[in-house]
Amino acid sequence: MNLVLGQLPHRFPFLFVDRVLEREPSLRVVAEKLVSMSEPYLQGHLPGRPLVPGVLMLEMLAQTAAFLHEDSLGEVPVFLAQVLDARFKAPAYPGDRLRLEVRTDAAFGSLQRIDGTVTCEGRVLCTAKLLLKMGAPMELAPKVRRAGGEP
Amino acid sequence: MTDLKLAVKEMIIQRLKLEDMTAGDIEDQAALFGEGLGLDSIDALELVLGVEQTFGVKIEDEAAGLKAFRNVEALTAFIQEHKPA
Repeated sequence: MNLVLGQLPHRFPFLFVDRVLEREPSLRVVAEKLVSMSEPYLQGHLPGRPLVPGVLMLEMLAQTAAFLHEDSLGEVPVFLAQVLDARFKAPAYPGDRLRLEVRTDAAFGSLQRIDGTVTCEGRVLCTAKLLLKMGAPMELAPKVRRAGGEP
Repeated sequence: MTDLKLAVKEMIIQRLKLEDMTAGDIEDQAALFGEGLGLDSIDALELVLGVEQTFGVKIEDEAAGLKAFRNVEALTAFIQEHKPA
């Protein structure tokens, strides 16, 4: 737990990594999150039918990715820059022990693209490809003209 | 437009999914990031991978990226200079 608190700037109620199980810096990290009925967000998601919101599984993977860095991020958070793909195959419930695995897919400078998987007792709950910017505040240039969207 | 310059523009359009643009819309001197083409800093990784996979040229670090990604002209010159024989 000390490793977790030393590495991530996140705190209650937004710390979503309990323990780091395996760590190959720059390459791969496996961490764990125990879901408890005491999680504050379960009060509203959903009343009488508590389940972990899918977006929080993405947050769990992003926080796990912070451990790809050898150095502590201290006060500098990992910025989730882009969700390239995300599939939610099954819900996570209170009582679940979630295994969070991330692997580096590509990296350049402070940008890191990762493949992440959330599993529970061998069942895949969520897979995602995320782009993270680490170790420096995000400075975005003006938005790009893309197909099918912005003016 | 040289073949390489055209290929660079087509790679940018394809990798960054600028589907409403054609190579003719991208000016050689226009900045890729910020003003000009208007790419986000987070597009840099996709561009690095595009240059590597399309032209076999590796952009090692942010300093090299800063130089290569100034505009299409600079990127074409960078690829020309570093491409495998």
